[in-house]
Amino acid sequence: MFFRIMDKDRLPDLVAGLSKGFEVIGPVAKGERFVFERIETPEMLRLDYDTTLLPPKKLFFPPEEQMMRFRVADNEVVDDEVYAAPRVIFGLHPCDINALMLMDNVFLGEYEDPYYRARRESTMLIGVSCKPTDECFCNAWGTDEVHWGFDVFLTDLGDRYFISVRSVKGAELLDEFVATRDADESDTAAFQQHTRNFKNSFTDDLDTSQLPLLLDAKFDDPLWDRLGERCLSCGACSMVCPTCYCFDVTDRLEADGKTGTRVRTWDSCQFTQFAEVAHGQNFRESRASRVKYRYYHKQWGYLSKFERVLCVGCGRCARACLAGISPREVVTALEMGGAS
Amino acid sequence: MPPRVVVVGLASDFGCQVQMTNIEDQLLDVLGRIELSYWQLASSGHMPEEYDVAIVEGAVTTGEHVALLERIRATASAVIAIGACAVTGGIPALATSGSLDDHYACVYGEGDVEVACGRIAPMPITSVIDVEYRVPGCPIDMDEFTQVLSRALQGLSDCIPREPMCAICKTLENICFYERGEVCLGLITRTGCNARCITLGRPCTGCRGLAEDANLESAILLLAERGVSREDLMTRARLYNTLEEAFTR
Ligand code: SF4
Ligand code: SF4
Ligand code: SF4
Ligand code: SF4
Repeated sequence: MFFRIMDKDRLPDLVAGLSKGFEVIGPVAKGERFVFERIETPEMLRLDYDTTLLPPKKLFFPPEEQMMRFRVADNEVVDDEVYAAPRVIFGLHPCDINALMLMDNVFLGEYEDPYYRARRESTMLIGVSCKPTDECFCNAWGTDEVHWGFDVFLTDLGDRYFISVRSVKGAELLDEFVATRDADESDTAAFQQHTRNFKNSFTDDLDTSQLPLLLDAKFDDPLWDRLGERCLSCGACSMVCPTCYCFDVTDRLEADGKTGTRVRTWDSCQFTQFAEVAHGQNFRESRASRVKYRYYHKQWGYLSKFERVLCVGCGRCARACLAGISPREVVTALEMGGAS
Repeated sequence: MPPRVVVVGLASDFGCQVQMTNIEDQLLDVLGRIELSYWQLASSGHMPEEYDVAIVEGAVTTGEHVALLERIRATASAVIAIGACAVTGGIPALATSGSLDDHYACVYGEGDVEVACGRIAPMPITSVIDVEYRVPGCPIDMDEFTQVLSRALQGLSDCIPREPMCAICKTLENICFYERGEVCLGLITRTGCNARCITLGRPCTGCRGLAEDANLESAILLLAERGVSREDLMTRARLYNTLEEAFTR
């Protein structure tokens, strides 16, 4: 990794330059909130955003995607192309970059997903530093920092960006599209100060010590029943989560009955159909068991396989849940001794 | 021989049947796969004695409707209930809140009114007969309808979703109405319309009926915390749902 400095007023040059060779996607305003969308003009890019409604996972693993088209008569696949144009996602926060790496473990690991891979490989990532909101608790998992998994990362030092360059492609982009200079000692000192201020700006420190052990101990805690009574089984938490990767696959026939499409859509472990198998058997019939499962998968199951929890503390689920169920609440309740 | 299909309307404004005419391109494709033996809205003849699939719109409001449905059930190998009226009682079933006699008096005046074919309390057709397929909504979503019809023609099972609207609403990146202090029934309403109203900027009014997965008890408490009383919520939900259905699940 090496470091460069870019004056802030150069930002439009960079965005405009990138737009010549790539589809540029970044946070843009939608009402009072923000969404990742195509950047048509540099002014659209809102690097001052707090968080986005959906995480960038939608750009790699869309909410609904066609996997293939098939012919009914002879059961043949007609089209299974994955279209992936060269893109740059500009303005990812550390939590969301970390989340993509957690997704990679799943989609690029043992069972490689060609759809995800094609999009991932055609996309460059430019990160940007953030200010924690009240819902953020990335500091609890260490996902407030990101050291790899991006091409370029911009840290906002007021009048200039401190640029961490991680990949050769990232270096080439900078060279091609914008004037930068080497970081000197005062820049590095300002960067360190920025990092200290950032770490201090989190409103509270969530205690996550011995969480897997606690989860083992609290498997039958009444906490889960209490959460189950409140949960609306709406699945909003899974949809907005940058690390939830479950999906459903369905075949849809065209109106003429001759061809069909195999479609994959986001799924949620909070739906009754999620764990239902033939004969109507359901492994997680009760709401309590489903809410519990979400936490055991994220904070225990995934951890036991990949040595990371499947949460980056982005706070999107907390914001989306009308029942006010959040990892912060659940972890705090566990640390405090559960519902009992 | 292609499957013979009939389309029948009970008490409704025939909006779902009109909706069916609005998708000419898909309709022609579908028509290529079936023999449309009777379509109440578009045919002048009588309903045939024999057919395979019956598509039924509208709520049950008369004894004659009950008899007709029983005949349909005895004849068709598959029945598809379409629209809020047929699936959840819809607007006609609003009359079940309060006294039916009072409602009649209000509309027709006091005294014994001769009602064609024996009036009964309005109800969804699913309260009278079992149906294989349901396409809820006011009006129905034509993509969903063609999917369900396709499934019926292939002999596949019903695929009506059970979960509430919020998940799809989130994937469409709508800003939740509750963030602006407005009430939206999506949190208890059956998904499947692509959160149509919300995406167009209006809260969901629940035309697809209560979702089987919905947690009504929790929703009532959560809304109460937000200043929406149980009665208010129920009044809103009643627009497309018979109350018995809501409270006896
Ligand atoms: S968002 Fe909240 S209410 Fe909805 S499924 Fe998740 S935990 Fe339950
Ligand atoms: S569980 Fe919640 S806080 Fe954690 S990554 Fe998912 S949405 Fe963000
Ligand atoms: S706007 Fe309605 S459907 Fe969408 S998340 Fe909010 S309550 Fe659910
Ligand atoms: S959003 Fe609600 S009211 Fe609108 S079509 Fe869908 S179910 Fe009906």
